[in-house]
Amino acid sequence: MQKGSLPTKNQFGFYEVRLESIGGLGANVAGKIIAEAGIVGMGFNGSNFASYGSEKKGTPVSSYIRYCDHNQQVRINSPIIEPHILGIFHENLVARLPITAGVNSMATIVINTDKKPLQAREYLKLSGGKVVVIDALKIAYEEKVKMNVVMIGAITRVMEFIDKDAMREAIKETLGKKYHNQLEANLRGFEAGYDLLELDEFEEDGRFPFIPFQEQRSQWGYENAPIGGIIVEVGNSIVKNNQTSRQGKIPLFHEDRCIHCGMCETTCPDYCFKFIDKEDDKTSKILMFNLGLDYQFCKGCLRCVDVCPVEALTEELEAEHEVEKITVKL
Amino acid sequence: MREQETVFKNGNEMAALAATQMNLHLMGYFPITPSTGIPEELSAHKAEGHHEIVLIPADGEHGAAGICFGASAAGGRVINATSANGLLYALEQLPVQSGTRTPMVLNVVTRTVSGPLDIKGDHSDIMYTLNTGWIILMAKDPQRVYDFNLIGTKLAEEKDIMLPLIIASDGFFTSHQKRRNQIFKDKKDVKEFIGEYKTLYSAIDPENPITIGPYMNEPDLINNKYQLSRAMDKAYEVLPKLFQEYGELTGRYYNLIETYRMEDAEACLFVLNTSFDTSMEAVDILRDQGKKVGIVAANVIRPWPKKEIQEVFKNVKGLCIADRQESYGARAGNMSLEIRATLKDDINNKTLVFNRIYGLGGKEFYVEDAIGLLEEALKVASEGKVDKDFDYIGVYEGNKHYEAKKYVEKVSSNFFENNLVVEKDEEKNELIVKGVNTRSLTAVPKRIAPGHQACPGCGIFPNLNLLSKGLKGYVVFLFHTGCGMVVTTGYPYTSFRSTYIHNLFQNGSATLSGVVEMFYEKQRRGEIDKKLEITFVMVSGDGGMDIGMGPAIGTALRNHNMIIFEYDNGGYMNTGYQMSYTTPHLAESKTSIVGPSFEGKSTFQKHGGRSTYHKDTVAIMAGTHIPYIATVAESHPVDFVKKVAKAQYAAQKEGLVYLKALSACPLNWKNPPEEQRSIIGTAVDSCYFPLYEIYHGITKLTYDPEKALKKMPVWKYFERMGVTKHLLRKENEDALRNIQKEVDRRWNRLKAMDAHPLL
Repeated sequence: MQKGSLPTKNQFGFYEVRLESIGGLGANVAGKIIAEAGIVGMGFNGSNFASYGSEKKGTPVSSYIRYCDHNQQVRINSPIIEPHILGIFHENLVARLPITAGVNSMATIVINTDKKPLQAREYLKLSGGKVVVIDALKIAYEEKVKMNVVMIGAITRVMEFIDKDAMREAIKETLGKKYHNQLEANLRGFEAGYDLLELDEFEEDGRFPFIPFQEQRSQWGYENAPIGGIIVEVGNSIVKNNQTSRQGKIPLFHEDRCIHCGMCETTCPDYCFKFIDKEDDKTSKILMFNLGLDYQFCKGCLRCVDVCPVEALTEELEAEHEVEKITVKL
Repeated sequence: MREQETVFKNGNEMAALAATQMNLHLMGYFPITPSTGIPEELSAHKAEGHHEIVLIPADGEHGAAGICFGASAAGGRVINATSANGLLYALEQLPVQSGTRTPMVLNVVTRTVSGPLDIKGDHSDIMYTLNTGWIILMAKDPQRVYDFNLIGTKLAEEKDIMLPLIIASDGFFTSHQKRRNQIFKDKKDVKEFIGEYKTLYSAIDPENPITIGPYMNEPDLINNKYQLSRAMDKAYEVLPKLFQEYGELTGRYYNLIETYRMEDAEACLFVLNTSFDTSMEAVDILRDQGKKVGIVAANVIRPWPKKEIQEVFKNVKGLCIADRQESYGARAGNMSLEIRATLKDDINNKTLVFNRIYGLGGKEFYVEDAIGLLEEALKVASEGKVDKDFDYIGVYEGNKHYEAKKYVEKVSSNFFENNLVVEKDEEKNELIVKGVNTRSLTAVPKRIAPGHQACPGCGIFPNLNLLSKGLKGYVVFLFHTGCGMVVTTGYPYTSFRSTYIHNLFQNGSATLSGVVEMFYEKQRRGEIDKKLEITFVMVSGDGGMDIGMGPAIGTALRNHNMIIFEYDNGGYMNTGYQMSYTTPHLAESKTSIVGPSFEGKSTFQKHGGRSTYHKDTVAIMAGTHIPYIATVAESHPVDFVKKVAKAQYAAQKEGLVYLKALSACPLNWKNPPEEQRSIIGTAVDSCYFPLYEIYHGITKLTYDPEKALKKMPVWKYFERMGVTKHLLRKENEDALRNIQKEVDRRWNRLKAMDAHPLL
């Protein structure tokens, strides 16, 4: 019934994989495919689920896969706290969440990045473990597929106990029906992920501490929270950071071309633009002037680029600009 | 044994699979997380032609329950699925159905009852159904969801039972977690097991006319209820037999209660559904330490397995009953109350019982939590006394030293000044707005702060921005449940800088009308400043004007001084895009999946009606003759802001206003975020969404694409959205032509209304 065996198990008999991503990159589908390859394809038992919120693009999402031996019951429903494999679909997530919480030096971290393993380890502040880097976004762009299949390729390689063919079958099963025309490209993306990864291993050398998993709690509890769920700190969402929602593109503001018509401000869903009133040099009237935008809130939708009548906003690659320097704080 | 096969699916998928294999007649439903996966999956099966179940999207859970009751009274096999407040909205229909003895199966995918709104799972919803007269099976995993749907259908239809039946599974934990499961390989075996449904009475058998649901007072009603009570007794008797019969066919045997390592257990935990599995791990760990512990759950709670519960706890010394809800004020959860009462009836029972409330709002239940509860039960067993009979686990007190921060400077009435001037020309019956300029309007402070969690390119926020710019002074918002609400107020954060209230999907208009009238009454009594002016705005979208249509019409007919603003994104987007009545005709959604056997949003076209073309909410609201109605689009921002300014004038001086915006949803319409404004522009220019206003019954077009020489066919709008693109294919030529015809008809009607003040 079961082909092969699990290389290692936790105290409850599971081999566990956690994928950290943002909505829209396909981590849920990747989780399903990885789980199916092991459970349907290889005959292990297990489960697969995701962290849930409402259905949104651009916000953090986690997907979980558990494998156990064929005859073991799955009795655990809770999220994976100490994964054997951590897949990170978007490196900006590091800034936002304790995504490496519970990841110890026995784990393998597969990250989508153009960095080398050593740089990635520094960037992630990992206590130790195997670090696998794959430039999934670039491969996906070349093959014109979603980056999730590339990540599946890299994860398959490091999991070893899952047959590559079982994974290919699971990809065909899930993506083949609906996206039949893209199936070959998807499989090429998968193979590239499998082949092109780079791996390095780091001892627990004390450079960075192990971060244990902790439930996220707010300042408010039953002793001090206003009754009825009332929020008194109105407008406090301004402390949030939406930058992880961007997928490589930013709007760039060219003040010299701007006619200050305000159209960008009417289309921006994230209220990023900063306008101030000052005296106009030509007419001596007090008018509104556009100073640019605050990238803390910009999700990179590029609506502003689309409506600007004078190309004072242009679509650019984020990697070519230092957003901290060009950002205009609201 | 009948041949079984393995599938890897979650609870919702397993419920749908059971329904598909049984090929039930009909489903009446209304989407609500986390049960929505069931109609979605059935829609997918329908597109592929795997079943013939008629899927009816209701106008709300109350309507869905009505549809199901009617369909059951008409003698067919019926299914429904719901959760949380959806279940409670349907609740008053449940006793109607059990009292009239019309069987069906309702999958309750358990979720916390609001408010505050929480979409995750606990048992606060299902416990409301204990007194409804429905059989209630508890399915702790996806396998049981499937098995109990089959067994439950057969049980409900038993001649001496004839009762509707609920299958409750844990929201997200079961509904969204994929597991390996067994199913019947051949549908024929399923059909053979459930047999043919022979109804005793039918509403569609005119040769045998009957009266269903008479006016029945004392002394008769008590007899009807006694019959119901006896039907439950019968179910208690039949269910074990069905479990046995099913086990012989599948190898999967069930009992009324579920036990683990109870043989010599001295300390025990009772928990329902998924927590039972988690607790098994805890039991193994403690058993390894030589501790005599065990766990119990129930597979059925109505009828109540009294004998089994008495028997299983006979020798247990310490028992912790962990409830995922509380009967507030009883200092107990419902299972704790019932089990204590049950044990009291066993005069020999000496079990010491205590109750813990856990996991509310979907809070995780870890193995360590179960160990903690079992350790407590062991302590009770060894000490022979209970120290604390009731408590919550998992609560925290908060940071006592934390002081609330200020994120908004002091708000005064001129804080949100927009310098717009609205005047009324009494002779022409017109409102005139001056000073609208997108540049100068950038000076108006935002009523909504950045940092909200909407998708990139979301249309709701440009709409809210334009709405906000047109309003001056104080505003109180009320938002219906929907994306606009979910992404702005995730606790402990809020994007609102003005006062904001949330109420559920259907009742915002009524709620805000209460706020409005309290404001005016307090002013009249001199309890608040008589000069204070507030504009009250109810914001709805994501289908809120379907389920909320009734209260919106009621509010309109009472003509309260307030604005109803609808951002219509053409679907239930916050739950992942199920069709709403405003979804374009034949468009794809997760409940109208296009495939070889289904053509998209189209349910009742059999008789040539126009009802499934996009709902004309404006025409419905116009029938209430409120002072001001207008459509707005972000593609025309100046027109938009002008209408909002007029709306504020009318809301303060004349009564109710209804504003409707077509609101882009790049995620679910499936198109690039940056193009949203121009896509809305094509909807306006194709006259799919014309811009006009109705002031005191007189309709005026505010933008005429024909005169602007921009008029385009409706396919120019449909080609821009992934969910309507298929309508441009050759095989859909006729369908597209019919939609164009309907759009033309509505547009020509509008032009006539614009030309004639009497229309």
